[in-house]
Amino acid sequence: MLGLLIRYLALVLAAWLSGCSGMDSMTSDKTDTRILQLFNWNNYIAPETIQHFEKTCNCQVKQDYFSDNEEMLAKLAAGATGYDLIVPTGNALHTLIQQQALSPLDKTQLPNLKNIESAYLNTRFDPANQFSVPYAYTLTLLGYNRNKIQELGLPTNTWALIFEPEYLQKIKHRVTVLDSPRELMAAALLYLGYSANDQDETHWNQAKALIIRAKPYWAAFSNTSYIRELAIGDLWVVQGYSNDLFQAALDAHKTGRSFAIDYTIPKQGAVMSLDSMVIHRSGQHPDLAHQFINFMMDGKNSAELTNLIGSGNPNRAATPFIRPELTRHPVIFPDPSTLSHLEMLTDLNHKQRRTLSRIWTEIKLR
Amino acid sequence: MQLSNRLIKWLISGPPLVFLLIFFVAPSLIMIVTSFRLPGEFGGLVPLNIFAERSGIDSGLTLETYQFFLSDWIYLEIFLKSFVIATLTTIICIAMAYPLALLIANSPRKFRNLMIMLVVLPFASNFLIRVYAWMIILGPESTLSHVINHILGVLDFEPITLLFSPFAVLIGMVYVHLPFMILPLYTNLEKHDPILLDAAQDLGANRWQRFWSVTWPLSLPGIFSGSALVFIPVLGMFAIPDILGGTGDIMIGNLIKDQFLGTRDWPFGSTLSIMLTIAVLGVTVFFTWLARSVMRSP
Repeated sequence: MLGLLIRYLALVLAAWLSGCSGMDSMTSDKTDTRILQLFNWNNYIAPETIQHFEKTCNCQVKQDYFSDNEEMLAKLAAGATGYDLIVPTGNALHTLIQQQALSPLDKTQLPNLKNIESAYLNTRFDPANQFSVPYAYTLTLLGYNRNKIQELGLPTNTWALIFEPEYLQKIKHRVTVLDSPRELMAAALLYLGYSANDQDETHWNQAKALIIRAKPYWAAFSNTSYIRELAIGDLWVVQGYSNDLFQAALDAHKTGRSFAIDYTIPKQGAVMSLDSMVIHRSGQHPDLAHQFINFMMDGKNSAELTNLIGSGNPNRAATPFIRPELTRHPVIFPDPSTLSHLEMLTDLNHKQRRTLSRIWTEIKLR
Repeated sequence: MQLSNRLIKWLISGPPLVFLLIFFVAPSLIMIVTSFRLPGEFGGLVPLNIFAERSGIDSGLTLETYQFFLSDWIYLEIFLKSFVIATLTTIICIAMAYPLALLIANSPRKFRNLMIMLVVLPFASNFLIRVYAWMIILGPESTLSHVINHILGVLDFEPITLLFSPFAVLIGMVYVHLPFMILPLYTNLEKHDPILLDAAQDLGANRWQRFWSVTWPLSLPGIFSGSALVFIPVLGMFAIPDILGGTGDIMIGNLIKDQFLGTRDWPFGSTLSIMLTIAVLGVTVFFTWLARSVMRSP
């Protein structure tokens, strides 16, 4: 929420500044510059990709950001309009489809669809890809300070690292987990041997007990600040998103730290968040949006994102353009046997959401 | 003559009245109605169907949300916790604001405005930025943390973390709300007639007696209005526990925010908001009653 507030302030400021500087340009060419309004995650497209697209389409790309699917849905539910293109995760995609908020895609305008790996098409959220095209994916993983963990002799391939007191006591107050009920519960459920999408309330209560037992050892619930704290050595173990951990590892490397940041997929499995491009009904330029989707499915453009943030790439044609050290990385390009351990989260109905919120409140209060 | 007077009165008070009707009463009514509606399967609300009995469709109205709220101690516990934090903040604010307000009120007139300006000065920068500044002050690598933990180390105590704790939340609350206690107190203390103190002195009262039997009772209205200005906003605050709190510092404001931005449960968020409003009204009534009875008794 605070991120949201600050982003609003920044947006207002930016709008005001651009309003001032845009005064003269507005009078000259306001008639024919079309604007593609993109509602995207923070840092989820390479700046050069945008420049490149603006040149080919003779248009302007404007971005609005969200840091959480719920935040995006809440903003749309409150009546935000004018977005041509949104990049939701699977479960939010499902919600948007059910809300009839999206326009169906015209696939004749998307010849590059052939580049997408079939494993990422026809998901249960949008069975025939009527509304969505895969963009990129991230995994929810364990990130850690490699030197410190080796020194303490702790295992890194299991969720036990953030749930079992026998390990946690060695890293007390140096651990953060995500401030997201779904992600944390998913990790706990996976550790207990259930599916990340398990909806049995008794299993949820077991997961709650597991979390409450581990909570005294954690420093905080953190969705973003862990990137910096892991990179400077304040934190040793985090539950985090693969692209953020990629960033932390890069930062630690660039600043010449005496330790390295690494991340692995726990053996119990992990959550995969496949983000897709969709066209919102309220958008002004569906043709431009189609053009953008097709542009992003081009191998080279798609590769730029992976090279920038280390996200997973569902695009076959992108591989030759991705830096070789990334294509070798087991998290960014998981092998087929690992892929079968990855689960995409399904949206919950309102009763389940209320139950989960109740559990989350108790977790926070205890 | 009288008619035109009345007309002028209405003309003057009309616009603010209409403003309040539109922007306070209407949203409150929407909130009350929302709390009785069903949450939609994918967020939002289930459409209303008042004449459902005939058509056999769900009416979209329910008492379920209130039952859910009351079926469980956990939400009352959070209310209680928020009340404790608000009460502590108010008491600390009174203890800190009183000497300062007294000092300002007793200063030469030419300095008073300057001092009041200094009290109000923090409002010139955004409140969130000032709270973020506390993150730096209280952080584990800050000078303050190092000094405190050094002293604790010498005394053979465990080191402590200041940030992400209930203590940090309380500091943030007091810091942000202190001016709201100082200003009404000062306005009150400034109006005291010095002749009363002189009279008390002539009658043989010492400094302490003069304070407790003259200044303190006269300043109670200032304390009451200051307390209301501190207590009520603290009760609903969510930003400070979000930034400065740790894994367990959840307040009622955080819970309400979460219903709208995290869980997509508008009816439950509305129910919680109504409960908060009722609690705040209860506190206001109590304070008003207390203020009246205290003021009448001596």
